[in-house]
Amino acid sequence: MKEFIKKVQKYYKYTIYSGKAELKSETANSHLSWLWWILDPLLFMLVYSFLALIVFGKGEKYFSAFVFIGLTCWQFFERTVKQSVTLVTKNSQIVTKVYIPKYILIFVKMFSNGIKLSISFCLVFIMMFLLRVPIGLNILFFIPILLILGVVTFGISTILLHFGVFVEDLANVITVLLKLVFYLSGIFYSIVGRVDEPFASILQRLNPVALIISSMRDCMIYSKTPDIPWLLLWLLVGFILSYIGINVIHKYENSYVKVI
Amino acid sequence: MGEQYAIEVKDLKIRYRSLTKMTLKKSLLKFKKSKVEVFEAVKGISFNVPKGEIMGIVGKNGSGKSTLLRAIAGIFAPDEGCIDLHNHSVSLLSIGVGFQKKLTGRENIYLSGLLLGYTEEYINKKMDEIIEFSELGKFIDKPVKTYSSGMHSKLAFSITAILEAEIMLIDEVLSVGDAKFKKKSYAKMEELISNKERTVIIVSHSMDTLRKLCDTILWLHEGVIKQQGNTAEVLSAYEEFMS
Repeated sequence: MKEFIKKVQKYYKYTIYSGKAELKSETANSHLSWLWWILDPLLFMLVYSFLALIVFGKGEKYFSAFVFIGLTCWQFFERTVKQSVTLVTKNSQIVTKVYIPKYILIFVKMFSNGIKLSISFCLVFIMMFLLRVPIGLNILFFIPILLILGVVTFGISTILLHFGVFVEDLANVITVLLKLVFYLSGIFYSIVGRVDEPFASILQRLNPVALIISSMRDCMIYSKTPDIPWLLLWLLVGFILSYIGINVIHKYENSYVKVI
Repeated sequence: MGEQYAIEVKDLKIRYRSLTKMTLKKSLLKFKKSKVEVFEAVKGISFNVPKGEIMGIVGKNGSGKSTLLRAIAGIFAPDEGCIDLHNHSVSLLSIGVGFQKKLTGRENIYLSGLLLGYTEEYINKKMDEIIEFSELGKFIDKPVKTYSSGMHSKLAFSITAILEAEIMLIDEVLSVGDAKFKKKSYAKMEELISNKERTVIIVSHSMDTLRKLCDTILWLHEGVIKQQGNTAEVLSAYEEFMS
């Protein structure tokens, strides 16, 4: 653990600079550049709104904010997890030439995806204002829930990063799995409102993304207190996963280069 | 003065497992454990490099030179044995530490510098020197993808040559760019190397270079040390062996 903190301190500057560089190079060549970070979730929101409201005819209260919160959290999780599977192979240029703690690469991704998430959340606040959503004190839960999202994402990413090096087609499996989790997470529907008990509780609580999304909605737009015990439990799970992942990476990271 | 050695290598062994990558199909369909072929690239070698010495490594292709260099740089973990650098900073001088193609040369200097573990202030201080040495002029603020391959390697060389480390590992980079830059980089190498505080290991196939620069030579043959010692002696034995 000490080693982890020391290395994070040492590479913290690199993490931020590299994260920024990544965002910059992403926008360097597109005509709308950073506008895409807003347009992307916005357009997806329109797609899902069309599906839910017109095709299925079932909406939720404050639907655009509802979908937007879900999408924002989901995209952060999905992008980071998906990228971490191929992270070492994709960065072979760097990895084969200098030593870098491999989880720093995850932090770089989390940083750049985190910036996109913050922009998206600004939009959520604007939307809440336009929809005249009443705001209560519960909105303060917003920050700890984001933290839990970060820890869980990091934990899962570290472990996938390790196996992604050795198992070549893990990326394909993860893509399919993520699609499944996407539909199970209630991004454009409310799990509790649409699924019968006891399945609703199971779906909601055993899937950290679903739990985080619905808690986020509870505290932001419905002024309800989120499901604290289960959130804490997932925070713990996230820490355990991270702990295991960090140790595994410390132990094996120097043999990654021999494989790729 | 304290320690006299900058690098101590003891019984170093590095293995590659041939059957390393697997796919899910393979692992699901093959229940019996497939036999893993182990290839030993470096087979238990020990040597010391005194502080300030310039050591050359020779050997035919596949004799484990680059593997050894990477292990010293800390990219590989040794499977057995140990490498002690006595807390000296080390940099592996090789062409291009992953440039981000869409970013400018200047931004890439930062990125590589931070990656190599230098502080921001230090990079700022050295920035102009790097840009000047790389001869890129206005191109330094253009994206790296617009560079020609020569410019690309000039930039890479400048970064690693000017951001100095106490131990430098050089892997066949003495021929970069056009004739003029080659001369300049060679001169820079000599200057870097001549610093008495700096320990250098050079891997090269160019006998001339090694003869001019090195104090001692280590001859690797199929993962073991075949001969080590005085430059002229080892090189003539090596040349005889290769001809």
